[in-house]
Amino acid sequence: MDTFILNIIHRPELVPEYIDTSVQEGRTQEVSKQEVVSESINIFRLQQEIAHRNHLKTTIQMTYSSLFNDECIDLVKRHHEEFGDEIGHTFLGLNCKEFRDKFKSKELAIWLFPVDLKKAIVDDSFERFKEVFGFYPTSTGSYFMDAELIRYIKAKYPMVRAAVATCFEEGPKIFRHTNSSWYTLMDGSPWTAWIPSKQNTHAIADSEEDDIGIVALPHLSRDLLAVVDNAGDMFGTHPQNIIRGLIYEGDRLPYMYNIIDQYRVMKRYNKGYSYNLVYVGPGWMGKGGRWEANYRILKKSYEDFLAYYGRLKAENEVEDMTMTEFADWFRKNQPRSGPYCGLWKDVLWGTQNQAFWYVDSKFRVQVDLKQGGAITDLRPYASKLTRPVGAGTEANQDASYPFIIQSRYRAGAFTHYAGEGAIKSCKVRYGAEEIDLSACRTTGGYSEGKGCRILEIKPMDVEFRDLTVSLASSYTFMENSGEIIIRRKIVESTDPKAEVEIDEYLTSCWGTTEYPEDLTGSMLYVTGNDGKREELRYEYRCRDQHMDDVQCVEAVIPQVQTKISLIPAQKGCHGYFEEGYSFAPNLKIGVSHAVAMNQEFEICLKVDKA
Amino acid sequence: MSQGRQGVINYRCPNCLFRDIDFDLLYDKDLDQYYCRRCNWEGTEPEILYMIAIYKRRYKDMLKRYTVEDIIAKDE
Repeated sequence: MDTFILNIIHRPELVPEYIDTSVQEGRTQEVSKQEVVSESINIFRLQQEIAHRNHLKTTIQMTYSSLFNDECIDLVKRHHEEFGDEIGHTFLGLNCKEFRDKFKSKELAIWLFPVDLKKAIVDDSFERFKEVFGFYPTSTGSYFMDAELIRYIKAKYPMVRAAVATCFEEGPKIFRHTNSSWYTLMDGSPWTAWIPSKQNTHAIADSEEDDIGIVALPHLSRDLLAVVDNAGDMFGTHPQNIIRGLIYEGDRLPYMYNIIDQYRVMKRYNKGYSYNLVYVGPGWMGKGGRWEANYRILKKSYEDFLAYYGRLKAENEVEDMTMTEFADWFRKNQPRSGPYCGLWKDVLWGTQNQAFWYVDSKFRVQVDLKQGGAITDLRPYASKLTRPVGAGTEANQDASYPFIIQSRYRAGAFTHYAGEGAIKSCKVRYGAEEIDLSACRTTGGYSEGKGCRILEIKPMDVEFRDLTVSLASSYTFMENSGEIIIRRKIVESTDPKAEVEIDEYLTSCWGTTEYPEDLTGSMLYVTGNDGKREELRYEYRCRDQHMDDVQCVEAVIPQVQTKISLIPAQKGCHGYFEEGYSFAPNLKIGVSHAVAMNQEFEICLKVDKA
Repeated sequence: MSQGRQGVINYRCPNCLFRDIDFDLLYDKDLDQYYCRRCNWEGTEPEILYMIAIYKRRYKDMLKRYTVEDIIAKDE
């Protein structure tokens, strides 16, 4: 396969949220003010024209207000007939007079309504769509579509096959970026198209029974290195993202093309397949400018952006599809449960930094190569957490899939107390000295094996006072098993007879934000090859347990129904767990072993549903 | 003191930008001055542009074009 697929989605959002802000601040008189509606339609028309001049087809997602606007309806019907654009549906842009009159609410996020209203809005907008166009939509979307909502839509309108189902890594970082006012708290999804589980939209389905019935698309394709430690709304396939991030000079935005080309490179890690999604509304492209950019720059940025895709299409380097066409293609050509991989290289900060991402039905894993290949984010899809969101639910606005490792939110390698925050890393000891591999910058390489994807981590020099060893590492992701085989090998040493101790450890906690969640009741286990088993119930008492010749060490976090295991391949390894305390609210499990030159230490990191 | 309004260009507070918060400045036409309602920053348009220029220096490759070949050629 050699396929790079593009979805371009435009939505005639007649009262964009940004303009609605102006309404609230008194700069515009009323939501339905005709000049706002007219400008929005004109912007939408221009965006469509830019796509068509580049011979690109679009999916037009009809907003609630646009279903009541004759000019808009006539326009999209013409574009459907003339250019083959798909007429789809969206839950974005609910705000309009018709909606407020009917539902008596200013809520703008479909996933945050009480469940009865979610269903009523689905029924009302889908039936209105049918009334206008004579058929039901086969695609829909929002910033987030929770599993309960998708299941309802699929049951009632089974013709729906595709949905924009989340904004990739829009979570606490973006919440902060927006002055704590933009409630897209939805970290934890795949970064590329996937088939969701019936239990949780973020998690990839693990079977036909678990298949929710749609192909989910991420809102925008984002820079997989930038999102690790930055708000993703500055680094995606949308010129406004890049302008917002001030990543331009005058009308020059080369980074815009760099992101596209990096996604073309992603074919190397996904058996010849890669995907881009462009999803823009009219709000950012108004005559009044957006952020610090004036209209001329905004317009030119979108013209240049789509012209590049148009050029790629002319060169047969990209295939443009509508959402439903893509969903049908995806069903035929991609496995239901993944995996998908991305080895992303810095194209912005001028470093050699890389981030590796892996996702399948059991977990989503982020590996930071500049931290020696430490795992810095892990979302346990194996648990398939049922976590309804919206008014009346426990989670309410917090639509993220919980992590069991998140090094940026929960400290990682560096803390202001002794020890680590949440991270999966490795310590190397020689005599009284100890070095954490997260302090060693490296890069990675990607390969595939039978039923596995492999990240080879380039050897890192670990320097002690009287000894330097070069340590090679690899992570073998066993597809859809929840297992990562981690191998370490000393490939060079200033003293080939010298042994160093390698301590594979994992410091974990659970949560969705920077703030700690309760670990009380978590269980820690260490089990010996002789069958002896020690256990501890987590109570923040700073207790630990060590054992020689271990078979495995385990942690069970009931709050996220997840079991984490470290299982050494060799006999004679040392194992331990540490409980943590309130100022260091993590749990830690580890397995260590002594190795010399050319010797290998292998463990399996396994994530299961508990 | 007069009412703050959105300026001709809707600048964000440069001080808040540096801590990854988007917060629009207000403009005081009597003093020809921008100010932030969240933090204590206030200044002129040249001061805003100066700080934006500094902000952009974090992107060392901001104006560099990386093609597919360039990206593949980066260390693997």
